[in-house]
Amino acid sequence: MKVSITFDRLRWEEKALSEAAEAAGLEASLVDSKGLVFEVPKKHPDLGEVVLQRCISHYRSSILTLMLEGAGLKVINSYNVAETCSNKLATSIALAKAKVPTPRTFLALTSEAAEEAADRLGYPFVLKPFTGSWGRMVTVVQDRNTLQSLTEYKEELANPQEQHMYYLQEFVRRPPRDIRAIVAGENIVACVHRIAPPGEWRTNVARGAVSKAFKPDAELKEIILKAAEAVGGGILGVDAMEPESGYLVHEVNNTVEFKGAQSAVDTDIPTQLIKYVSQVARR
Amino acid sequence: MNTSCTECGATLAVPSDAIVGELVSCKDCSQEYEVAEISNGNVLLKPAEQVGEDWGE
Repeated sequence: MKVSITFDRLRWEEKALSEAAEAAGLEASLVDSKGLVFEVPKKHPDLGEVVLQRCISHYRSSILTLMLEGAGLKVINSYNVAETCSNKLATSIALAKAKVPTPRTFLALTSEAAEEAADRLGYPFVLKPFTGSWGRMVTVVQDRNTLQSLTEYKEELANPQEQHMYYLQEFVRRPPRDIRAIVAGENIVACVHRIAPPGEWRTNVARGAVSKAFKPDAELKEIILKAAEAVGGGILGVDAMEPESGYLVHEVNNTVEFKGAQSAVDTDIPTQLIKYVSQVARR
Repeated sequence: MNTSCTECGATLAVPSDAIVGELVSCKDCSQEYEVAEISNGNVLLKPAEQVGEDWGE
């Protein structure tokens, strides 16, 4: 069975997935998406029937997945899952509708409305871009003066979505770490604490956080799997926090990076992810 | 496989097991390149894409 792993920046993860696929007896092919050309709606002759989508650019990933599904290929993850995960508002809606515990979140469509939302949410709160990753531009807003300055800066941005609209979230009092669970279908493949580096409140590995193996209890396992299901399922990175009041899921990642987690756990993560890809391919 | 950094001219050593798409960076100036082609032991590099606003997980 041929599995194409599409990428636009070849990282350790994609190479490890390719090696795991070969080891599992699949015909694996690493495909640089930047060179692909499609005649709509035809299949691409180099891609086979199953694609593991690993593009790092959200928009490239999304458009390519749309094309591939349109041509009748199985893509992991699906277009709908990718869209839900890549927009923090869509993720929040999906989690809330599935009754997954998640931080209190507000949407405001102008800077004036953002001030009202902030008053209702209370300071400090967290201002996040709708699309983006690695903790970029995620800001703790301590007071109204800071919010007013931030709105002025945001209005200078070129991206209309980030220029005028606001995603505000409760600032959760938690230990200086969060939880990253790597999920494949209905299995939690690995679970780690991501410990923020000194002087940094964000827990992204891209910002220097260190991963440490962590065994989730039954309640957390259920929440993690429910969160993955809420966004449509697949290969996902579910991020949760553990304040005293109970677990909260704040994000679900569509193109999960797992180099940090792999450094902390014995489980062979790429092998487990490829096992899921094989299952999906056989359906 | 050796080639030259187009930014600073330093010698750029590309690992012999490199594959197309892989990234290499110049040790002198940090310019990042992507392996575009490998044939007959020769490697062709192109400047790597810069981090975009929509990049991530």
